[in-house]
Parts: sequence; structure tokens; C-alpha cells
Amino acid sequence: MWLYVIKRLLQGIITVWFIATATFFAMHNVPGDPLLNDRAVTEAIRANLEARYGLDQPIGTQYLLYLRNLSRGDFGISFTQENREVNDIIREHFPVSAILGILAVVFAAAGGVLFGALTAIYRNRLPDYIIMFLVILGISVPSFVVAALSQLMLVTLNSAVGTTVLPVAGWGTILHMLVPAMVLGLGTMAYLTRLMRSSMLEVISSDFVRTAKSKGVPPARIFAKHQLRNAILPVITVLGPAIAAITTGGFVVELVFAIPGLGRFFVQAVQQLDYTVIMGTTVFYGAFLVFMVIVVDVLYGFIDPRVRLE
Amino acid sequence: MSRASLANEAALVLLEVENLAVEFDTYGGIVKAVRGVNFTVDHGKTLAIVGESGCGKSVTVQSMMGLIPMPPGHITSGSARLRGTEVLGRNSIDGKEIRGAEIGMIFQDPMTSLNPTMMIGDQIAEPLQVHKGYGYRQAFDEAVRLLEMSKIPEASKRARQYPFEFSGGMLQRAMIAMAISCKPSILIADEPTTALDVTIQAQILDLMQDLQHETGMAIILITHDLGVVARMADDVAVMYAGKIVEHGSVDDVFYRSAHPYTVGLKEAMPTNDPTRQHELHPIEGSPPDLFAPPPGCGYCARCPFAMQICDTRESPDFFLKEQHFSRCWLHHEDSPSKPDDLYFKGREA
Repeated sequence: MWLYVIKRLLQGIITVWFIATATFFAMHNVPGDPLLNDRAVTEAIRANLEARYGLDQPIGTQYLLYLRNLSRGDFGISFTQENREVNDIIREHFPVSAILGILAVVFAAAGGVLFGALTAIYRNRLPDYIIMFLVILGISVPSFVVAALSQLMLVTLNSAVGTTVLPVAGWGTILHMLVPAMVLGLGTMAYLTRLMRSSMLEVISSDFVRTAKSKGVPPARIFAKHQLRNAILPVITVLGPAIAAITTGGFVVELVFAIPGLGRFFVQAVQQLDYTVIMGTTVFYGAFLVFMVIVVDVLYGFIDPRVRLE
Repeated sequence: MSRASLANEAALVLLEVENLAVEFDTYGGIVKAVRGVNFTVDHGKTLAIVGESGCGKSVTVQSMMGLIPMPPGHITSGSARLRGTEVLGRNSIDGKEIRGAEIGMIFQDPMTSLNPTMMIGDQIAEPLQVHKGYGYRQAFDEAVRLLEMSKIPEASKRARQYPFEFSGGMLQRAMIAMAISCKPSILIADEPTTALDVTIQAQILDLMQDLQHETGMAIILITHDLGVVARMADDVAVMYAGKIVEHGSVDDVFYRSAHPYTVGLKEAMPTNDPTRQHELHPIEGSPPDLFAPPPGCGYCARCPFAMQICDTRESPDFFLKEQHFSRCWLHHEDSPSKPDDLYFKGREA
């Protein structure tokens, strides 16, 4: 088991190195450079800046320098924000994105498993039809629309009650987090509901559930001990990528709800060709995704004994 | 069980199924899967139900256990009485649950019939927890003992393993241990050896017989293997197209077969007896469409002895002796050909 974890971690490090290398060369092949923005920069200043950031070196040397800094966990200094280290940006803003993301994932997983199991049990009856209609809606409506609509509802709610029940935007307390997390997790929840439904349907008609019935096990216990645990496996599999996708994909929701998350810096950096910030956030997100997939795979082994031996 | 209560219960027939009929609503119409089945099972005896795929063997027993999904299935008529008490449509008799406690059941494919994410011991312990209110520890210890009884070596280690770590034969042993955990009065075995190879098959059948001697339970054995029937059964019910066409003791059904379908099955079975060199004769044709079963005998279209009346009117049960009947017009006193003709046809051909 531990050998398996170590093996997976080593594979993960190699994957992160690939991501870092690909990002580096992609960045340097994009036309333009970070010093070419609208402010007038004289030749002398430009030469100074290039020397400061190492941009006058040949690309091979830059790459090696970059890798050396990376291995020490140093992502460098931002090109566009004065005297700000990329590490500081991540340290300040990633926790916000992570908390929002984790809340969203918890919401998505709990809702997906619950609604998926419900639709399977009430197959082809009213609860199934209603939930599956909402699922299609959740998958097809983009998150900025849902975000805007939910803000509108919050405003209406607050003005109807006469006091701020839930804040419309901003960050700070748990109350600020609830609605954005739900909006952020909605698409994933819809997807997980569908996944859970189909795997639950398969389990419901399986031989071992029939065996459990023939043993006289009551339905609630069959659901908890036989159906849920087997039906949840495909959901766990996609949970790892889903966590990473939600945490990194929160940009739109962060913007609409004015949340100081990392997503905004990521997008800004691409627009301004801020090499270090782009590479720093990309590599960081990449490493996060790889780590999450490993965590979920290890978790999978605890739920499904068949995976443990491999 | 005390000697006195055993004597009391012996007076009643253990299980009596009367005129049981089961239908399924499908998109294509109503399938009449079981069309009036009667049989009885006595204490400590083995009844084999034989017949080809789709003849309603499994549906018959699953409807007794309440394992038929309803809808689409429904029991249209009949009754099944355990010691005189109706079991159809109820979960328990005198506080003892039918499923798992009164009747245990094992299935055809042990590989898929056990929960892949649950330890074997836990799965065997589960009926004890549910029906007898055992605590987890107590139930698990009992599960280990049951595994030992089912002749699984290193039972305490094996109980902590998962189904994927067991072979097919071992899984079927574990299934049997699970089914008999609450000492049921009837064990239903739905093609228990079909998915296993021949040596394992023999071991499983031996195990079932040993356990029957130890516990005195009755066995209902569903199979399409006449070899298994000959080895295990006291009584045999031959089913065809949702009905029992012949019923009797194993000797009567095998040596004094009284229905053309039973004879056809025997002709189609290989033998290793060198004095009886015969070719295998398959039964030509296929079973009737159960969406619209024929008004007469279901076997009529395939029967070499079919008469005009077979096509239009269904035969009653003709009793050849007290416990041996055949549902075939050949036994009517006006029949032109005699039932004895059945036996010599195959050997002469």
C-alpha cells in the first residue's frame, strides 16, 4: 500500500515537471513580452529590466534557472505587480479559492450522491423526472447566469426580510461562502447526479442485492450496506479531477461575487503576459490537480478492496 | 427444536404450493411465466425441479421468496403454505421472518451473488444480526463456525477476506454457509452448480447433503442437470412451459417416466453405461410462446406422441400411483397408444 503511494507520488512529480516545461516553452513562444505594455519604456530601462528578470539570457539558461528556482519552491517575482512575489500571491489568495472549492465539492458530492440515489430508487416516477429535469438545467446553464440569478434572489430576499440574511457579495464569514459555493458546485453536482443514478441502477438490479433480499435484510440496511458503497465508486473516481476543476474553475464565480480568490490573478496574468505569475499559478494548479487525483486513488482503495492489491 | 414440537410439525406438510400462477407485464404483452403449479415438500426431503431455460423454475421459487420485482411481476393466483400458514405476500410467520430465517436461498452464479465490497464473514454474519439480534462480534464468530461447517480451511482468516479472493467453489460454500446461518427449514438452491466445474460440483452437492443430514432441512433443488437430480433428489417435478408435467419419486420419474417430455429429456442425456449404446436425440423445436400459451398441452408441438386432443384440450393430472402423476392424455383409458410405448422408442431408433 505504502509502496503504491510512493510510486504514485513519484509519477506525480514527473507529471508536474512536464507541466512546468510545457508552460515555460509555450509562454516564451507567445508573441510579445511582459515589458511591451502601454507604458513607455526607454531602451536603458528595458535593458535594466531584462537583466533584472534574466530575459537577456539565452532561453536554455532561462529554463535551467527556472527549474532550479522551481525545485526550491520559488516561483519568482511578478512582472507587472511591483515587488510582489508569486509565492505571496498564491499564499494570500489560494486559501480563499481552496475554501470556496472544498465547500463547493462537498456540496456537489453530497447532493450528487443523494439525488442520484433518489432518482434511481424512484426510477420513472415523479421524483426522478423532476430531479433529472433540474440536472439537465444545471449542466446546460452557464455558471455566470446562475451566479447573477442567485444574486438577484438574494437581493429580493434581503429586501423582503428587511435585513441582510445572506450577503450578496464579498468575502469573510461563512455566510459569504454559502451561495457562491452552491453556484460553483452546481454543474458538478448535476454531473455527479447522473453518474450516481446510472451506477445505482446497475447495483439495484445486481445479483448481490438479490442475495441480500433473500437473506431478509431490511431495505434501509440493503441501501446503506450493499447498494450505496458499490454505487458510489464511479463518483469517487471523478471526484479528484472535479475538486481540481472546481477550485481552478472558480474564476467566473469569484468575479461575480467579488471574492479575492486566485482565479482572478491567473486570468489577469495571461492578459498581461506576466510570465512568472502564469507559470507559477499553472504549475501550482497542475501540482494541486495531480495531488488530488492521487489522494482520491488512495481513498478508492479503502472503499473497494479489489484496488488495494495492485 | 424439541422432540415434541418436531412431532407436532411432522403432522403438517412442510411446504405446500397450490395452483401458483405468476405473470409479468412487459412491453410485448403479458408473459404467463408460471401457470398453475402444485407441489409439496416434506421435512428433510429434497425436491428437484427440472426443466429447460425459461420454463418457470426460478420464477416459482422466487415468487415464494418475494424476490420477484412487482411490478412488472405479479402473482395472479395460488398459495404457498409453510406448515399450513400462507407465505405469499407476507414477510414473517409468528414473528419469524420467511426470507433468510425460514427459507434460505443460494443462487446460480456465486461470483456475482456476493457483495464485492464486504468481507465474507460480515456477509454471513448479516442474517444473524438481522434475524437473531446477535451483536457484531457474536455474529462474526458464528460466521467463522459456519464457514468451518462448510469445510472452508482457515475459516477465521478466510472470513476476513473479500469475494474476489475466493474461488468459485469456495464462494458457493460461503453462500451455503450464509443461507443456512439461521437454520432455515427449507434451503432453495437455484441451479447451485451450473457455474462450477464437475469436481467442484460434486463437492458442493456432497456438502449440501451433509448439511441436510445434520440439520434436517428440506431442499428445493432447481436444475436442468438430470445427473444432479439422480444424485440428490427424493422427489422430482418436471416443469415445462410454466406447468409441472410430471411429478413423482426419483425412481418413478427416471425408471417409469410417464410423460413424453421426461422421456425426451432422458433421450437427450449422455450416458456412460457401455451396455446402452444410444445416440443422443435432441428434442426438436422450441417451447411455446408464453405471451399466448396454447390452449392444449404446451408440449404438443414437439411431442412425437401428440394426438388431436392434445392440441385443443389440456390433460388433467393422471395419477399412476399415489405420489406419481403425469399430465398427458396418453394415460387416458381411451388413448390409442399406450404409455409403455414411450420407453422402447428411443432404444430401438
